[in-house]
Amino acid sequence: MIATVVDWAALRDVVVASLAAGVGVTVAFSLAILGLTRFADMRRDGKAVEAWAYAGLAIVGLAVSATAVVYGIVLMTSK
Amino acid sequence: MDSDLVLVIVVVTALAFDFTNGFHDTANVVATGISTRAIPPRTAVAGAAILNFVGAFISLEVAATVASGIVEADLVTPTIVFAGLIGAIAWNLITWWYGLPSSSSHALIGGVVGAAFAAEGAAAVIGEGLVGDVFIPALIAPLLAFSVAGLGILLAYRIIGRLRPGSVNRGFRHGQLVSGSLLALSHGTNDAQKTMGIITLALIANGSLANGSDPPLWVVVSAATAIALGTYAGGWRIIRTLGTRIIKMDPAQGFAAQGAGATVILASSHFGYPLSTTHTISGAVMGAGAAKRLSAVRWGVAGNIVTAWIFTIPAAGAIGALVYGVTRVFGTGALGPVVVSILVLGLLGAIFGRRFREVPAPPPPVPVGEP
Repeated sequence: MIATVVDWAALRDVVVASLAAGVGVTVAFSLAILGLTRFADMRRDGKAVEAWAYAGLAIVGLAVSATAVVYGIVLMTSK
Repeated sequence: MDSDLVLVIVVVTALAFDFTNGFHDTANVVATGISTRAIPPRTAVAGAAILNFVGAFISLEVAATVASGIVEADLVTPTIVFAGLIGAIAWNLITWWYGLPSSSSHALIGGVVGAAFAAEGAAAVIGEGLVGDVFIPALIAPLLAFSVAGLGILLAYRIIGRLRPGSVNRGFRHGQLVSGSLLALSHGTNDAQKTMGIITLALIANGSLANGSDPPLWVVVSAATAIALGTYAGGWRIIRTLGTRIIKMDPAQGFAAQGAGATVILASSHFGYPLSTTHTISGAVMGAGAAKRLSAVRWGVAGNIVTAWIFTIPAAGAIGALVYGVTRVFGTGALGPVVVSILVLGLLGAIFGRRFREVPAPPPPVPVGEP
């Protein structure tokens, strides 16, 4: 009975999207924090190249996180 | 005249349910932010109330009709909806009293199913719908959110593990403001729609609105206002349970839980597989805690919450059936709903009158451990 009443395709999509987006956002934001913290450390230590590499990491992490938030709002408004 | 009076009673009861929905579910949105001190309690509930209000206007899809596909729609009368709403309100208040986060949607479905069962017998209930649309998602939501939050926080700890706790906590607290806002907005788009759906259906059933009509503006505004006011009232007991009694969260765990909650809710909404906000957030909070250390989760509290979930549909259903039975004692007109409304208001006044005169202070922020 359960096999027929459950929408397995929708359920699979929800599981895959949730895992990818949920874990992805947390990882991206963690990388942004890592980048920002290390950027400040490296800059203070006078390591310009490393500092800018971490700044790049922070920008990418924040961009991914912001994109996820905007996409979430787009999904809400397009229901 | 009788039908107009019943319509007014259903509208007022639906708005009362919307209010309880708001204050019952405030915790889903703000508990993690408050407990990690990302945002002061009063600011958190005020922000959540505003975003819930705004969220109610974002989507006007009223496909989420009351218990659609779970009870035979042709058999649902305004009196059944009224009894179902009373069942849902009663269960929301009982679980709030005990500080247990339970699903307002399930309470509403349970109330309507119970009232429909009392009115028309088993033929009114669609068993397959109940299993496929309610029971299975109730299992999926907490498990999925638990896994997403758990995996997310494990990876986050690997990335930020060697950094200074001060800057990490500051960063995640800022992140929580955004993830919490997204949660509040998505809550408004989902939950206010239920009340709009109920009132619109009642208006159509009464002949006040053409079949297939969108909800009138006053319905949208009143539903948005009721859920926002409920959210602002703040269900502090549940906030305390979700924010501090399951686990003591650090800001990274709070962010992972909110992020997991928001993405699972949005994904489920997008793919048409609706999951309960409450089940999702509670599962995410447990997952964020268990991933750090299994013993960090107070499993006794988690067990009480799951028990409340199991009892939500039968309990709200039993109350809905009882209310329908009492209503029918007074015939099929408006007298039954009027008498029940007066009884319910009297009961609420007796129980909560003293409590609401002594306005409770918001809970103080709880000291948080460092990652």
